[in-house]
Amino acid sequence: MPHTLNTLIIGYGNALRGDDGAGYIAAELLRDRIHRPETEILSQPQLLPELMEPISRASRVIFIDASVSGRAGKVHRIPLRPAPACARVTHHATPEALLAGAQSLYGHTPEATLYTIPGRNFEVGQELTPSVRRAVNQLVATLERELA
Amino acid sequence: MIDPVTRIEGHAKISLHLDEEGHVEEAYFHVTQFRGFEKFCEGRPFYEMPSLMARICGICPVSHLIASAKACDAILAVRIPEGAVRLRRVLNLAQILQSHALSFFYLSVPDLLLGMDSDPATRNVFGVMEANPAMAKDGIRLRQFGQQIIEWLAGKRIHPAWVVPGGVGSPLTAENRDRILAGIPEALAIATRALDWFKNEMERFREEIRSFANFPTLFMGLVGEDGGLEHYSGKLRFLDAGGHIVADYADTAYDNYLAEIAHPWSYLKTSFYKPLGYPDGVYRVGPLARLNIVDGIGTPRASQEWAEFRDLDRGAVLSSFYYHYARLIEILYALEKIEQLLHHPDALDSHVRAHASVNNTEGIGVSEAPRGTLMHHYKVDRDGLVAWANLIIATGHNNAAMNRGVLQVARHFVHGNKLTEGMLNRVEAVIRTFDPCLSCSTHADGRLALEVELRSHQGELLDVCHTR
Repeated sequence: MPHTLNTLIIGYGNALRGDDGAGYIAAELLRDRIHRPETEILSQPQLLPELMEPISRASRVIFIDASVSGRAGKVHRIPLRPAPACARVTHHATPEALLAGAQSLYGHTPEATLYTIPGRNFEVGQELTPSVRRAVNQLVATLERELA
Repeated sequence: MIDPVTRIEGHAKISLHLDEEGHVEEAYFHVTQFRGFEKFCEGRPFYEMPSLMARICGICPVSHLIASAKACDAILAVRIPEGAVRLRRVLNLAQILQSHALSFFYLSVPDLLLGMDSDPATRNVFGVMEANPAMAKDGIRLRQFGQQIIEWLAGKRIHPAWVVPGGVGSPLTAENRDRILAGIPEALAIATRALDWFKNEMERFREEIRSFANFPTLFMGLVGEDGGLEHYSGKLRFLDAGGHIVADYADTAYDNYLAEIAHPWSYLKTSFYKPLGYPDGVYRVGPLARLNIVDGIGTPRASQEWAEFRDLDRGAVLSSFYYHYARLIEILYALEKIEQLLHHPDALDSHVRAHASVNNTEGIGVSEAPRGTLMHHYKVDRDGLVAWANLIIATGHNNAAMNRGVLQVARHFVHGNKLTEGMLNRVEAVIRTFDPCLSCSTHADGRLALEVELRSHQGELLDVCHTR
């Protein structure tokens, strides 16, 4: 299958649970700033198996997620490799499992990176902790420059 | 105890109680989460309700949007434009399509394809990808198409704000109509393949068909004025196990014939049909109920399948295992009906919203969600602030039948003092046939989990299984 997408960005998390929405909000901000037909940006409450298909069409995929571990306000960059799901995964999935699924179902898996943004507050609410907000803005600016 | 129950929407546990001989005597399906949307919406302006209520669930937000908007239409006392009704119908059917695809392909096919006793580590959608990649791709494509229709119509897939009191936010564009219509043939082919596959496989599940909540109950759901299949508006029909119509009611008069009770072991309330009392008034809703109560379907290919389905039993089709079958027929129906609605000469009508202020202080909205009949009932003050809200959700309607189903399947498959993987999975699988949404029914958060607990007649804990 030809790669119809240069870059696919998937930011995910629950935007109603404080810092858990960091990835989701980052993707929303990127969608406002990047308008290139070869870049698709998705904001998702969670990862789902149907993402395997667009992942298989991309030459590069960037996942952005919040993290419960690490110092709030930092951003971690983790290269990903496909790994089949071994737990009782149902209708939500890990980035590695989606990459493996894209390979096995659609014959291609792209280069993949996960950015994690450690959070501090995961209680009900739509506000990011200030340090997490700064980390989101910093990551958005970095990716915007990189993809310009 | 099975804790947590997996491949359902929400968090629950099951406890099985043995008699002195070690046979299952009682079974309880406990829903262990609580959020209370009905309370915290009090004081909010009524026009916020569709968006607030959609937050109950990430799987079926559209269903809540529609029932909530209908309740708000009643508060405005407006008759919404026909164009808006058509677009809400398309949206509701797309929601049913994507939710049924998720339930069947992601949550149930692992059992049906890989077997109830297969290794739980691979009995999931990724195991399906290994065993039958074509079927996995079909499931992914069908759900993607349903989600795509929602996004094309409403702007986003989850928690869209397009359905508003008085109609919808914007008309359908020609581009989006054509994009949806272009995808219908492929989706119909997938639905047909899945139906053919399921009908061929049914023979392997004779024991499950016999024991998966296979008992007489009433069935309830919306029907059109002509008695046909209806998901948006109509009258509420009760049908008995023999296939006889018990009564047709105005949907907004639910208080006259439905009552709810709470059990100490669960946050999930149980509904029953008032004239028969509890437990005789136990009823089921959802795809199985809808296909049981109707006089006809109204689209050609789904009608043929429905006729074959109704031949399974002389009266109503009773085994809850057939929820899967009914779900597939409804997928076919949804696709055919969306096509019909989009071919309507006024499909692109720009008049899609009626405007008014508060004219009634009470409103009731009833629609069919993927899992069954959904009721939103609000009372507001003169300024339109919500004073009281009551939500009756499909999983609450089905609660009593699910409990009895767990007992039936446990009596059939659970023996001795130890739970095996096969027993555990079948007890879970009977719940899964109903496709319960515990997040909706308790209006609680959506973790996936189940625990099964096995207790002796003296209450001693004999075994516990957790699944994650």
